[in-house]
Amino acid sequence: MNFVTKIQHITFILVIPFFLLWAQDSFKEQFQLAKNFYAKENYFDAITELKRLLFFDNEEKYLFEANDLVGQCYKQGGKFSDAIRYFTLAEINAKYPERIYKEKIEIVRVNILRRTTQSAFRILNSLETDNRFKDKIDDINYWRGWAYIFSDDWENAAATFAKIDSAYQLQKLTEKVNNELYSVGFAKAISYIIPGAGQIYTGEYLSGFISLGWNVLWGYYTVKAFAADRIFDGVMIANFLFLRFYRGNLQNAENFAEEKNLEISNEALRYLQNEYDGLKP
Amino acid sequence: MKFPIYLCVLELFASILLAQEKQIDFNSEKNIKKFADYLFCDKDYLRAAEEYQKLNGYEGNDTIIFKTGLSYLFIGDYSTSIDNFSNISSLSPFYENSKLERMKAQFLMNDYFGMRSFYNNNFPEDDSLSDRANRLFTFSYLITEDRLPQKEKFLLPFNSIEKEKISSFYDWKNDPPYKSSALAGILSAIVPGSGKIYTGDISDGIFSFLVTGVFTFLAYDNFRAGHDTRAWIFTGLAAFFYGGNVYGSIAAAQIYNAKITFEFNKGLNVFLESNNYFVPVYEFCN
Repeated sequence: MNFVTKIQHITFILVIPFFLLWAQDSFKEQFQLAKNFYAKENYFDAITELKRLLFFDNEEKYLFEANDLVGQCYKQGGKFSDAIRYFTLAEINAKYPERIYKEKIEIVRVNILRRTTQSAFRILNSLETDNRFKDKIDDINYWRGWAYIFSDDWENAAATFAKIDSAYQLQKLTEKVNNELYSVGFAKAISYIIPGAGQIYTGEYLSGFISLGWNVLWGYYTVKAFAADRIFDGVMIANFLFLRFYRGNLQNAENFAEEKNLEISNEALRYLQNEYDGLKP
Repeated sequence: MKFPIYLCVLELFASILLAQEKQIDFNSEKNIKKFADYLFCDKDYLRAAEEYQKLNGYEGNDTIIFKTGLSYLFIGDYSTSIDNFSNISSLSPFYENSKLERMKAQFLMNDYFGMRSFYNNNFPEDDSLSDRANRLFTFSYLITEDRLPQKEKFLLPFNSIEKEKISSFYDWKNDPPYKSSALAGILSAIVPGSGKIYTGDISDGIFSFLVTGVFTFLAYDNFRAGHDTRAWIFTGLAAFFYGGNVYGSIAAAQIYNAKITFEFNKGLNVFLESNNYFVPVYEFCN
């Protein structure tokens, strides 16, 4: 046997197992199938195939990736509790700090979306104190800012985004929203002094002037009754009419301020959903 | 030196063995069934049902059909569930249970008359599960507006533990503690607020009485003193509160009755769920 033939034989012997092993990894194919379903937004079938993969994956090679993808599918389908369950499973099976961090942030993002922001803050605080993630402080603050947005705390959101250089757009937006928001306490306070002023402050001029009118009318009748020594009349008009409208004016001022604030927040959230290009929960 | 064929064969064999570790036919009958069973026990019933239906010979396997029926029942797709239970052969060991599950499905889809008719035609007295079916059949009378049978007869299918609760449901159904909205309205028309007191809204009743009374008095007092404008304002207010008090009392009675009915229905549902609709619990996942 000459040298060339020997080389041919050795090559043949070496190549056989590669072909066999490479061509027949059905777990990899299964994972790819699930990923294809996910890419086509067919989340139900993606979950089915991933669950199948996890069920048969005795070597537990796909525990992290498959659980993570199931979590993503559930998140896309709006099943947030299931998403958190699978992200947690992925986190348990993550072998590197980078992956643990990724899953924890996924859990934070789902908590932000379902407005369980207290849980999001708790996880973010634990990440901040974890030495393994010291270089992630900007990212942690980024998601903390989002958690503040979804807690309707625009002031803290702006302050948090201000700590990150790359979050200038979000900082500006949250600052703007915070400045536009009406102070519920102030609306109520000025309504205590001048009935209807709180409504006028929130831009509800008609309601403000009507409220002022009712209060002046019944206040006038109350004073007139007392001035004419008709004490019973005075007490009754004051109690059942004047105070009723006065209390209504306070409630109205508070409600209008809250409603307007909700409109402003919703408008900002709509903008973030449709126009903002950066990472969103 | 010759080409070492034996080495090649050995390596080929070893490689195939290794490759098989990485190869699995996810869609083999055996694996689909294993996976479907896992999904069923994981309570992922829709996926479980879909997997069961992928199996060849699905239609001939009564266990699979029964579990598919149960899966659809658990996810609330009652008509598909009934279709599955209806396909179980009378020779199958699941036949009796499938009839009972079918009754449960009809019950859950509020098809009480269909359920009763199915019971009458398919559960002879010697049937092993006829006592359970009879309980579900009888219980349905607590939900519909049909006339109830006599109490002794009604309680007959139930065991001693169930009887006490069923007896209280029966009494309620027979004579529900409703308040008459007409009576509430009339009472409030005569004495403002009394209709609300009759429906249990005591503080509301007293408030209505005071407000209507005070405005009526103010109207009278102002007419007497010659302050006609104010008197008419108070008359309008008194009339407004009087009308509101009558209307409010009628509404209060209706709300009271709706609340009572809601509580009763909730009680029935809790009882049925705690008794699993009189259907046995299966041991598929143990």
